[in-house]
Amino acid sequence: MIRVEDIQKHFGALHVLRGITFDVQKAEAIVIIGPSGSGKSTLLRCINLLVEPDSGKVFIDGVHVNRHGIRHEWVRQQVGMVFQSFNLFTHLTAIENVTLGLTRVKGIPHDQAIEKARKLLARVGLAAKENAYPAELSGGQQQRVAIARALAMDPKAMLFDEPTSALDPEYIREVLDVMTVLAREGMTMIVVTHEMGFASNVASRILFMDAGKIIEEGTAEDIFQNPKEDRTRSFVSKILR
Amino acid sequence: MEIAAALPLRTPPKLVTRLTVVHLVEMILAGSFMIFVVLPAIFRFSLVSASFWEIYRRFYVTGLFGTFFYVAMTLPLSVVLGFLMGWARVSGVRIFSWPSSLYVNLFRGLPPLILVIFASLFGTNLVPQPILDRFLSGFRRGDIAVGLAAIAIAMHSSAYQAEIFRAGFQSVPKGQQEAAQALGLRPWQGMRHVILPQTFRLSLPPLGNEFAVLIKDTSILAAISGTELVAKSRDLLGILPASGFPIVWIFAVWTVVALTYFVLTYSVTRGLRILERKFHTPGLEAISL
Amino acid sequence: MANWRKFLRDRWRYFDAALALAVIIGSLVYIYELLVGSRGLDVAYITRNYPLYLHAVFTNVYATTIAFVVGMALGFSVGWLRTARSLSVAKFAASMRVEKRERQEAPSGSEVTRRLLVVLSLLWYGTKYVVRRVGDGFVEIIRGTPLYVQILFASSFFIVFLPQYASEGILIGIIALAINTGGYQAEIFRAGLQTVHSGQIEAARAIGFSRLKAMRYVILPQALRLIIPPLTNEYIGLFKASTFLFVLGVQTEISYIAQHEGFAGDVFEIFAIVTAIFLAITVTLSFVVQALERRFRIPGLGIEQVRLPRGVRTARVVG
Repeated sequence: MIRVEDIQKHFGALHVLRGITFDVQKAEAIVIIGPSGSGKSTLLRCINLLVEPDSGKVFIDGVHVNRHGIRHEWVRQQVGMVFQSFNLFTHLTAIENVTLGLTRVKGIPHDQAIEKARKLLARVGLAAKENAYPAELSGGQQQRVAIARALAMDPKAMLFDEPTSALDPEYIREVLDVMTVLAREGMTMIVVTHEMGFASNVASRILFMDAGKIIEEGTAEDIFQNPKEDRTRSFVSKILR
Repeated sequence: MEIAAALPLRTPPKLVTRLTVVHLVEMILAGSFMIFVVLPAIFRFSLVSASFWEIYRRFYVTGLFGTFFYVAMTLPLSVVLGFLMGWARVSGVRIFSWPSSLYVNLFRGLPPLILVIFASLFGTNLVPQPILDRFLSGFRRGDIAVGLAAIAIAMHSSAYQAEIFRAGFQSVPKGQQEAAQALGLRPWQGMRHVILPQTFRLSLPPLGNEFAVLIKDTSILAAISGTELVAKSRDLLGILPASGFPIVWIFAVWTVVALTYFVLTYSVTRGLRILERKFHTPGLEAISL
Repeated sequence: MANWRKFLRDRWRYFDAALALAVIIGSLVYIYELLVGSRGLDVAYITRNYPLYLHAVFTNVYATTIAFVVGMALGFSVGWLRTARSLSVAKFAASMRVEKRERQEAPSGSEVTRRLLVVLSLLWYGTKYVVRRVGDGFVEIIRGTPLYVQILFASSFFIVFLPQYASEGILIGIIALAINTGGYQAEIFRAGLQTVHSGQIEAARAIGFSRLKAMRYVILPQALRLIIPPLTNEYIGLFKASTFLFVLGVQTEISYIAQHEGFAGDVFEIFAIVTAIFLAITVTLSFVVQALERRFRIPGLGIEQVRLPRGVRTARVVG
């Protein structure tokens, strides 16, 4: 479904991505772990082209997308993204956040958009909050609205950039639950996270990244119990006390 | 409970004295008190002289309409210019950001009076000749001069408004643009539906202040004999000795003028605050400038 | 073709900057053409007359500084008076009610003294209220009316009551400017004092400071640091406002401009000189303000802080 080949990215003198290659099958849930600064967020943004790789290829559903002639907006409709800082549109209510993409990007008429938005909000458990502004919602609720907003575009895959890192502990659970259900329903997803519990339960594969390279990949068991590389071992030991 | 009510509580004082209707009423009462009670008592004359106000009324009304006209002319112009300049200032494209930076610093650094004098005396030199011939041939040179001076005032205010809008732009949380992009919105769509609405809401409070300043700045046109309130009142004072009223009447006139400006600026700031409340979204913190 | 586009894209930043410079220089040249054109730059005018302009600007600076200092005294007193706290009617009534109940339960002391105390406290709070409102009123008038009107008001005052001084443009101007800046500074001082007021006095007293010591060691140091940036901004504003001395007949740089009316000869040169002088002064003062701000800043505390998230435009992604 998604394949990246030898992605390279520099930010000025900083070589952030040093040749990343991996692929994600349909309905797979990949979790990427690694220390900060390893380039995980950048990698995610290279997939939906918020950041353009210096070299390498990105394939979505077999289509080579990071080249001329492919409109970025089309790419972003295929792959949805959920951010660490939620990034809900603060001047719009929850339901307006969800319908904005439907009406403006997909061109769906207003009433249909509202209906669909309501269903999605119900799916993430926030049917009652449709007219609330982001500032009136808790962190967990905001993130769930953000997930609904991304799902509204009917993406083929979802990218999650540390979705729970900015949340107070009591709200992490509710967001992870929504993501777990999503994965079980068969959504292809790539998740960058530090939540090892989620990784063990949901991930079909885990990738460990450090300093711009994929050091190791395998199932949860492989990575957490039998890490092959030293760096993997030291990172995992720091995480799993 | 009752004990707490008994002790005079040290509530933290309001950090901003907001102007309330109470203030306005007090002002008007004090002003009228001044005009109709205090001054006559001190100078032993009666201000309830209908003939004086008859004479002044003509000057006043002409002047007031003049001021309204100039405000109506300069306010929209300054907002449009200010907004464009502010937007250009935050642009990553240097073709926009550098010239607008120059514009803003130039028009903020120069006092409005200097701009007015310059525009009135030499503004016509700057307007290309064809435009002068086609559009402005019907007007007298003096009127054109005042018009250009008004434009200069608008530009001066727009420089300050550019800064306000710039801060508004920069106060929009950074991730908003990313999220709009990730949704598939095109850049202009993102601007229109996500960034600009928030910029406006954030910019409104300091903008009201700037409008009040603009209204006051129109008085500068009096220095070049524009038709507005201050100029007309000054004209009145020229004929005052001749018409037989004691010179003390000056103060009554100026008090009325001051009150007028006060009411004008108050209404504008109040009106904007109502607009603010209408567009208010919880969580969008206003920038404090 | 593709190479050409890539070349452009890589070097975009330089093209961008070059084009921006071109636009700026282009418009400056255009204005130059309009105003100077074939006449040629009258450098002689500049070299001959710049002392006059400098002298005029010195007048401005001189007037500004005097007015500023006087205004500061005025502003400080008014600002301080405006921090006088009185009791709201509701709270006073509430405390009265409680006292009444206490009196019924445990009567002690004479009725007269109690009544006297009530009257005295009413008087005290009442006076504080009036004083504060008068201060508020003064500031609102100054801020709500144009400077021009205030100048004319002052001028009228002189014409009516002190005709012998009515022609002293500078005197009238300085007085008007002083009152004007006094009003604005009152607001600054009030905000500065109040920003510190709230918990600090109590904390200081809790440590054991006397009221005076608390004022000296806790409140004033903080208040002074808060006040400096807006105060220097006010100075710059006052300097720009001092151009109004022109309407009072004082010889400022504007008079030289006005003398040239009709004769469009040395327009550009005059404009250049005046702009250069003003920009030089205001820009220098702005830098001074920024430097002072940086030095005296207390993080997290400020009267007029512009909260700008830094790094709005960077594409840095960390992760």
